[in-house]
Amino acid sequence: MKGILKIALGIIAALGGFLDIGDLVFNTQAGALYRYDLLWAVALGTFGIAIYAEMCGRVAAVTQRPVFDVIRMRLGFGPGLVALIASTLVNLLTVAAELGGLAIILTLLFDAPFSLFVVLAAIGIVISVALLPFGGIERIFGYGGLMMLVFIAVAFHQGPDWGAVGKGFIPSFSGSPLYLYFVVGVFSAALMPYEVHFYSSGAIEEGWTTKSLKENRLNAAIGYALGGVLACALVVVSGYLFHPLGVEPNDLGTVALPAQGAFGETGLLLALGGMLFCVGGAAIDSSFSASYNLAQFLGWEWGRYRGPKKAPRFTVSWLVFLFLGVLIVLTGINPVDITEYSVVFAVVALPMTYLPILMIAGDRSFMGEHANGKVSATLGWLYFALIVVLAIVAIPLLLATNGGGG
Amino acid sequence: MTDEVLVAHRLLDEQIVDSDGHRCGRVDDIELTGSPPRITALLVGDGLYPRRLPKPFRRLARRISGPEVWGANALRIPWEEVDELGAAVKLRKKAEELGLGEGDNPDNWMVRRLPWN
Repeated sequence: MKGILKIALGIIAALGGFLDIGDLVFNTQAGALYRYDLLWAVALGTFGIAIYAEMCGRVAAVTQRPVFDVIRMRLGFGPGLVALIASTLVNLLTVAAELGGLAIILTLLFDAPFSLFVVLAAIGIVISVALLPFGGIERIFGYGGLMMLVFIAVAFHQGPDWGAVGKGFIPSFSGSPLYLYFVVGVFSAALMPYEVHFYSSGAIEEGWTTKSLKENRLNAAIGYALGGVLACALVVVSGYLFHPLGVEPNDLGTVALPAQGAFGETGLLLALGGMLFCVGGAAIDSSFSASYNLAQFLGWEWGRYRGPKKAPRFTVSWLVFLFLGVLIVLTGINPVDITEYSVVFAVVALPMTYLPILMIAGDRSFMGEHANGKVSATLGWLYFALIVVLAIVAIPLLLATNGGGG
Repeated sequence: MTDEVLVAHRLLDEQIVDSDGHRCGRVDDIELTGSPPRITALLVGDGLYPRRLPKPFRRLARRISGPEVWGANALRIPWEEVDELGAAVKLRKKAEELGLGEGDNPDNWMVRRLPWN
């Protein structure tokens, strides 16, 4: 029974760590613009994060090495430093996007200026991290994020043409740069690297060993699958409601509107509450991820489990990343724009962190009997090829479509 | 330790932990002596970062990190201090005895001034 409970908690944490502001923004826009046509790209991205996370969790459990430990070892100092700088810039943008998103959601719930909420959101995050142990942080935001399940209920309540929804899972291509931009966007939003880096360091924080491998597989398979279903629900409800109207949702409030349409104020509150916890959790995960990466690359002591007294440099750099995130949002750039940049740049930086993990996961001298088998290795390399292609086309598409503005 | 070590595969850039299990730096370079070469020391510290970069970037990196100062930003950890090579390079002594992990040392004046200390 205890085992089942532990696994359920892990799945909830994986689910909570999956949806963030990138999915909310990109998937809702993708539904409004292309109805159900991009569901296949959401599914492809979800499968990708499950593969990447499973490998990272397995490497961490078996070798006790988190992602940036592996990167420094396999890439060496110079190329590793490039991966660190790229990942840190993407993480900073993501922290800013999540903080901005939190503040927007708070302005929809309460009446106070945006910039005040940016600062309050950051203070709230510092307080919850200071008071809660690592597992508690994961769980509270994971449980709260379950309110997002309302979007699945909304989809059933709307009763879309399920045949058309099903067809959306068959890959389709159009030469339109905007369509391709959204393919990259929803794929990358599902496969944000900070989520996996956080997951891998979390495995060390929670003392995983080879005994945790089953838990790791279930987290990756069920947790991310459920997250993927929610991500698809966002596309479906937006496609049903906004596509026929020709609405282009450019703010976060629009994301929650379908829930209000279906279930009134309760629906709206559930949707906004779920968004608040998901984005709040993501703000913590992305800022921690930035700090984990830096500390691991430089060999500092790190981890929430060590506490601020034993890991002072790690703790200070976490606070600095959070502070820089606040500064970026307060410059007045629209958080939705910051989100789009963070998601598109994330896929550009992804191959550099994905490749070393793939190499070590297949290396028997480190992994022994837990090294990648034929299936994992084939899937791993196929996804690597796909990520490289998307990384190459991402920035040209961003420029060609004027950041999705058409 | 006298075994053969795959230097680039298992030692260079590896995490270092002290006798208490505290992380205290990475193997930033390795000192080899004699012929055939033997590992005589691990070299650790941010003063060594510039020499790890490709040539065109070294000057810029030196300007940022300052010159190598042995005993300060570049430390020599004799090979005899290495206890075992496992998930990390484990040392026989505590970090502070070897001058490692200064930035996380609670006695460091900067660390002492942090509000939670």
